[in-house]
Amino acid sequence: MIFPGLFFQFTCGLLFEWLDRKILARFQRRVGPRIIQPLADLIKLFSKEDLLPIGSNETIATALPLVSLAAVMTAGFYIPVAGFYRSSFEGDLIVIIFLLSIPTLAYYLAGVVSVGIYSLLGGGRSLLQFFSYEVPLIIALSGPAILAGSWSVSQILKTQGDFGPFILYQPVGFGLAVIGLIGKLKRNPLDIPKAKSEVVAGALTEYTGGKLAFWRIVMNVQAILGIFLLINLFFGQLSANPYLAGIIFIIESLLMIVLLSTASAIFARMRIDQLAGMGWRILVPIGLLQLFFVILMGV
Amino acid sequence: MNKISIPIGPQHPLIKEPISFNIDISGERVLGCDMRLGYVHRGIERLAIKRNYTQNIHLIERVCGICSHVHTTAYCYGVEKLLGVEIPERAQYIRALMCEMERIHSHLLWLGILAKHIGLDTIFMHTWHDREMVLDSMEVISGGRVTHAVNKIGGVRCDITPDHQDMLLTMLSELRVQVDKLLEVMDHDGSLKARTKGVAPITVEQIKAYCVVGPIARASGVDIDLRRDAPLPPYDRLEFNVITRQDGDAWSRTILRVEEMRESINLCEKILNNLPVGAIEIRAPRKVPPGEVIVRTEAPRGELFYYLRSNGTDMPARLKIRTPTLPALGILPAQLSSIHVADIPVVLAGVDLCIACADR
Repeated sequence: MIFPGLFFQFTCGLLFEWLDRKILARFQRRVGPRIIQPLADLIKLFSKEDLLPIGSNETIATALPLVSLAAVMTAGFYIPVAGFYRSSFEGDLIVIIFLLSIPTLAYYLAGVVSVGIYSLLGGGRSLLQFFSYEVPLIIALSGPAILAGSWSVSQILKTQGDFGPFILYQPVGFGLAVIGLIGKLKRNPLDIPKAKSEVVAGALTEYTGGKLAFWRIVMNVQAILGIFLLINLFFGQLSANPYLAGIIFIIESLLMIVLLSTASAIFARMRIDQLAGMGWRILVPIGLLQLFFVILMGV
Repeated sequence: MNKISIPIGPQHPLIKEPISFNIDISGERVLGCDMRLGYVHRGIERLAIKRNYTQNIHLIERVCGICSHVHTTAYCYGVEKLLGVEIPERAQYIRALMCEMERIHSHLLWLGILAKHIGLDTIFMHTWHDREMVLDSMEVISGGRVTHAVNKIGGVRCDITPDHQDMLLTMLSELRVQVDKLLEVMDHDGSLKARTKGVAPITVEQIKAYCVVGPIARASGVDIDLRRDAPLPPYDRLEFNVITRQDGDAWSRTILRVEEMRESINLCEKILNNLPVGAIEIRAPRKVPPGEVIVRTEAPRGELFYYLRSNGTDMPARLKIRTPTLPALGILPAQLSSIHVADIPVVLAGVDLCIACADR
């Protein structure tokens, strides 16, 4: 429950949001929020009026963020944090990828269920984006699995203890995984589904109050678990000493957050057809090439 | 795919002032749009004939928030022509200085809005931070950040002391460094170019058909700039370059305005270094002899056209304002057909709409 369970994921999600907003602010010559700001925002959201337009189904609209939260937190059980994990089994990488994709589908359904033109557009765009980044992401995440000869994240972690971090063997795969992660988290430059200037707030336009708070928690936890997953698959366990491993894990997480926030600060938003073109014409071929090299290396 | 209609406006994160577009889209393609104006119509022209000429300065300044000074400049030049008075040279230079500073801060504002709408929040924050430098200097000179009330019939209200001159020259040199950095970033940034290059090009024939003026026309290669073609004093004594580009797409319009900012900074420094000594106002009579006058100036968005008719009393008989945003609104439906939905912010922001100006 506590570590590395639900409270831990929730707190890490809040810390991620704070760090992301602070780094973004410093890029923009601003000061940025205090550390308790994300928590304060959630508390404020819970105190707001909770309404939906006429014609939307209240039960489904409430269930969607809760189901997404359950899915991502379940995925968190299998993702090791500095070497500690709740459980693992052969093939849990596939289950993690599937569970971390449930919020995207729930986002689309949220767009459909909240009756409104902007929500519908935002939800549709999130599916379009899903088709463009998910395939390169899965290809990139399969690389470490093939190299380690196992589909279990904890097993991949242990294999890196013998061979060294996998990023040295497949740096291109790491780059593709980062791009895929930015797409999955709907961050700039791939925040097309929630482009404020076109679709106001995307699928969550009509959400307010507690339901919106749960969506924000889902996004934060999804983000931090995605980062943890990438660290486990590509950086591995650099030390046997658990305290040192913990410190190194924290440093790796901070570096990943800095990388993601920098990418969100310096690029303009992509157009959906540019994303589809880039995804299928550039990322997938490069990913397959990298996979080919990984298979050769494994042999 | 069936056709759906998304409402942009009257309230939408995309537009700063209320205007209503009902954009028909099919999938990710825009088919056309249905435009509605008039949400900010305040009847300025009717209000103007119920007030005397001095009260009208206060009214005309509030036609628009961003180009307030150039509106009053045009109006005051018109009234002074009807009165037959010639304002002192120092007043002319101070009016031109405030016009150019307004051009700089208007272009910085517009660039920030365009960057924000395509997702580059960083450029938005940086340009608006630089804009604060300009607004603070204008506040030191005139007491107001956005509405300055610098003009009066017969001259200007505030003088530029040597301290002000030093402060302004320091601010302008810092601003020039920032604008050069901005140009360098924009030249090298692939994502900004990818979003704006080739989007919604306007041909020269379309410009002439819709009578579009200002930076939009200059970006398509039409070489018009009233500061050079029909100059009000002191522009006839100042040298500057008129920037034009040939492509007419959103990228040309973007980079043209940034280069215009640089020219305006040069102009401001020329004005400050050649400020003539003398009075800043002369006494003007209250009653204006009958007559009519046309004044055209170059606002940040293009040609601003004022028609003023007097009938011998101290209230005007007719005031007619034609702002540069009006023809730009005319060309907007043509631009908005057959583009991607994601290009709508680029087109709307690229046209640099000032609806308060257009609606009056």
